[in-house]
Formats: sequence, structure tokens, C-alpha cells
Amino acid sequence: MNSPKPSTVIVPVVSVAACIAPLLMSDLTFFVHTVLAAIVVTGLSLLMGYAGQASLGQGAFVAVGALTVGLGTTHAGLPPLLLLLVAPLAAALFAAVVGLPLLRLQGHYLAFGTLALLLLVQTAMSSVGALGGAYGISGIPAFGVGGWKVTGQLPYAYLALACLAVVLLLSRRVVNSRFGRGVRALSGSETAAESAGVAVGRDKVAMFALSAAFAGIAGAVTAFFTPYVSADSFPPLDSFTYVIMAVVGGLGTIWGGVVGAVLVSVLLQVLNTVGSQPGLPPTASSIIQYAAYGIVLILALLFLPRGVVPSLGSLPRRSALR
Amino acid sequence: MKEFLTYVITGITLGASFALVGSGFVVVHRVTRVVNFAQGSFAVLAAMLAAWLLGGVLPHGAAEVGAVLICGLVGVAVGVIALGRRGTPPLISLIVTLGVSMLAAAAIILFWGQDPVSPPGLSGHLALLGVQVDRQRLLVLVATLLAFAVLGLFFSRTYLGKALTASASNPYAARLVGIDVRRMGLLAFALAGVLGGLAGVLVAPSNALSFSSDLPLALSGFAAAVFGGLSSPGRTLVGGLVLGVAGQLTAGYLDGSYQTEVALLLMVVIMIARSRTFVAEEAK
Repeated sequence: MNSPKPSTVIVPVVSVAACIAPLLMSDLTFFVHTVLAAIVVTGLSLLMGYAGQASLGQGAFVAVGALTVGLGTTHAGLPPLLLLLVAPLAAALFAAVVGLPLLRLQGHYLAFGTLALLLLVQTAMSSVGALGGAYGISGIPAFGVGGWKVTGQLPYAYLALACLAVVLLLSRRVVNSRFGRGVRALSGSETAAESAGVAVGRDKVAMFALSAAFAGIAGAVTAFFTPYVSADSFPPLDSFTYVIMAVVGGLGTIWGGVVGAVLVSVLLQVLNTVGSQPGLPPTASSIIQYAAYGIVLILALLFLPRGVVPSLGSLPRRSALR
Repeated sequence: MKEFLTYVITGITLGASFALVGSGFVVVHRVTRVVNFAQGSFAVLAAMLAAWLLGGVLPHGAAEVGAVLICGLVGVAVGVIALGRRGTPPLISLIVTLGVSMLAAAAIILFWGQDPVSPPGLSGHLALLGVQVDRQRLLVLVATLLAFAVLGLFFSRTYLGKALTASASNPYAARLVGIDVRRMGLLAFALAGVLGGLAGVLVAPSNALSFSSDLPLALSGFAAAVFGGLSSPGRTLVGGLVLGVAGQLTAGYLDGSYQTEVALLLMVVIMIARSRTFVAEEAK
């Protein structure tokens, strides 16, 4: 702890690079989606790493955020900036309400319970007309403040980056707070944490709601960026990808979500380009994609179980000991 | 009345296949505390293998048995990956098997493409209580009941079955009396492969399966297994039948598109209602 941490150099460099990168790219779809995934995964990493609860259905909360924006703009005509602030609150509220019964489950049961939640949300979206129905919600206006309207992709890249920055700062505050310490204690042993005065049930729901809020804001930006929301926008495979990203980056670290999201997104993008080369059969792309998901997940968990960030972080310390 | 009977009988035959997939979850979870997300992939793999073997030279029967046995071998491979190194926590193993199911999807698309496959099965109907039932669907029910009977006898009457149960309830003591706990875990995965494969071979002739059918199959199987707390084969059978009948009744009287959702809701409700007993079981 006495030596300066490598993050004091790396973090500013990476932040500046992230701000310059969008200016150099011609198509920002990949960039925006990667940053949004990083936001969702940061929340999931907090939930899985600090609270020890796995969610296979994080897409449900992304959907709530996107729905808030979709319905708020097209039906109620509310200002975009207000909706951007309301979306994470709506997602957190939804998570708190479903979390009260759902978080009585643990481990495997919670993983399957959250997956069931995602599928039920998808069904509700595709079958209830007010939530988009079979055709989804289209015609979402561009993001803007007051009379100023956003044009092109570049502003969305910076909007997503700004949201990511807020999410990361908030995560650091939460982890180092009394609440954060309580949540870490309950992931070890709920009984021990409870006897030490941690309100286990309340703190678990609060952490679940926080991760949902992060997912909700990512969903809101997606809705403005795409600008289309339907049940098919949130397939279970996306939610599984968030878990893969969280695990690859390293659970229970602030930067793990970002590192995992970037590494996995870049890998998938590269493989996608390779798989769609002319001359390859049309199924090659999906074969390579599924195989990559599977292999990355298995190798990461068996050989790098703590994730990339903690493993890299312990390198300098290890060499210093020798 | 006849309508009602039709729904109940189709529900029972459908529920039998849920129970068969669910029994795979139960066998693996009993012994290793791992929930195998790739359980649905066994069924899809077996359906593909059966169709492929039937298209080759093998006659009915041999092709299906061959497909199921290959699934047992694949089960061992999945077990080796999922159990990983000693001390891999069960929740990490669950995510590893999620990765395995994705690998399986890649392999299935590579060898057999993305289209659903439905190998030929028994044709024709049979009148049961005045209701016309596909003979293939009855075969599913009969085979499931047989499989559960064999499974019950295996766990309660054979040395190997008791060794499996012993590894589950106290791995340390099991090791003391000379049981190889890791090998028992792999055996459980092989058994899960056989049970999942059996489900796939039986279901595919009436419901075509594709690479993406593994998730719905795994979910309905898990839902059935939840009735038995992931450890009781008997109650898993009951759970599967309840889910099947409930789904068919909803489809018949309300709306056909909400079958899966009924199963999911029932699963979540039962899990939450029984959450206290689960915690106690996990703590054991």
C-alpha cells in the first residue's frame, strides 16, 4: 500500500484514450455498445463479487430502463433528460419489488430465478400492447436538452462515457462505505454478518437495486441510440454475456467490469469479422461466436478464477516479495 | 370433459419429458452439488445424433441407444470440465457449464446446422379413455416411468448407487471408507448425460429440436427438479407431471403462448416458498 498503485497512472491514461477514441472511429455502434455493456457489467460485478449473488437475467433491468425511455418519449412526451434520470430509478424500484421475494433464494436458485424473471419480462413486453407488443416501440426521438437535439453518433459516445464515469465513481463510494462493508460481510456468511448487526435482507435488496439502476441507465441510453425497443432487444444470450464479462474482468473489483466488457467485446468483434469473411459457410459466424463464448468462459473460470484485473494487480506485489 | 382429459393426458406425457431432463439435474446435484446448465444440451445432442445415425445404416432402436450412450460419454467430458480443479465452488461450476452449453451449441451448428431436427419415431395413435394419443407420446411416458423405477432401484439397492449417495451426503466420510468421490461425480455426470439423451431421443420425434432448444429444455427440467429440492427423483417426477398438466390446461383454456411462463412462474413460486428448506439443505 505504501508504493504508488499502478492504477494512479493507468486510470488517467485510459480515460483520456477513451475520450479520444470516438473521434477516430467512423462507426461508433460498437464503441457505444461496449461502453454500455461496461456499465451493466460494473453493476453485475458489484452484485456478484461483493454481495455474492449471481444474476443470469440482468437484461430484465436493461429492458426496464429502455422501456421507461421508449414509453416516456413516445406516449407521455416527457423531456429526454428527465427520462434519463428516471430510467435508473424505475429499474431500481422494479428490482427492489421483485428482489424482496426473489433474494430469499441463493446460489443456483437465484441464478435460475433471475433468468426466469428476464424471460417473464420479455413475454410481458411482447404480449402486452402498452409495452410495445409484437411490433416493439419505434419512433423514439433523439436525445436532447431543452431545444437542443442530438444529431449523429458522437454525442451518444460521450453520453455513454459520462454515464460510465458516474457509475464507476458511485461504485467506489459504495464499496468503501459502511453499506459496502456490510454487503461484503454478508457474502462470506449471512449468519455472521447478521449477528454483527448487518441488515442482511435490506442490504441484499439494496445492492440488487443498485446493480439494476446501472443496467437501467444503460438501457435508457440504448433506447435513445438505437432508437427502437422490443422484447427481442434483450435476449438471454446478452445477459449471459454480461456474466462472462464480469467473470473475465474479475468479480469484486471496480475496474473488472470495464476490463471484462472491453476484452470480451473486442474478442467477439474480431471473431465476428473473421467469421463473416467471404468463402466461409454462413453458419461459420455463429459457430465461432458460440465457441468463443464457451471457451473464454471455461478457460477464464478454470485458470484465471479471480479474473484479469485482480490477477494483474497481484503481479507487482508478487514480484516485490521475491 | 373429453377436452379436459385430452389436456391432462397430453400434459402428463409432456411432463414426463420435463421430469426426465430434471432427473439429470437431480443426479448431478445430489452427488456434486453442481447444477449442470448443459443438461438441455444433452437432449439436443442426442436428438441430432439419433437422426444422423438413423440416416446412416443403423435401424430403429440401435440408433437411439447409440445416441444415448454417446451422450453418457459426453456427460463424463462435461463433468471433467465442470468439476474442474479441486475446490471449485458449485456456483462457479454452474457458470462453467453455461460455457459448456455454448460450446455444445457451436458443435451442433458445426455438424448439423441451425435447422430443427425431428428423427422419425413411432407413428399412429392409440385410444386412451376415449382420447386419441400419439403412440410416440405414450412411449415417452412409459420410458420415463421405467427410467425412474431403475433410478430408484439403483440408488437404494446397489452398492454403486449407495456410494453415489454417500459421496453426496458426506464427501469426507465417503473418502474415508474408500469411495473415490471425484469418480462418483463423473459417474453422476455420465448418468445425467444418459438421462438427458434419453429425453432428447424420446421428445424429438414429436417436437423438433434445434441448437437453441437447450435453454427451454433445461429450464423446464430445472423447474421439475425444484419440486424435489434438486435431490429427490420421485418428487421431480411429480413436479414434471404437475408442470406438464398445468401448462397444457393453460394452453387449452387460456392461451397457448403462455405455457412456458406458467412453468416459470410455478418454479419461482415453489423456490421462494421452499427457500428455507433449501438453505437448510445447502448448509448440511
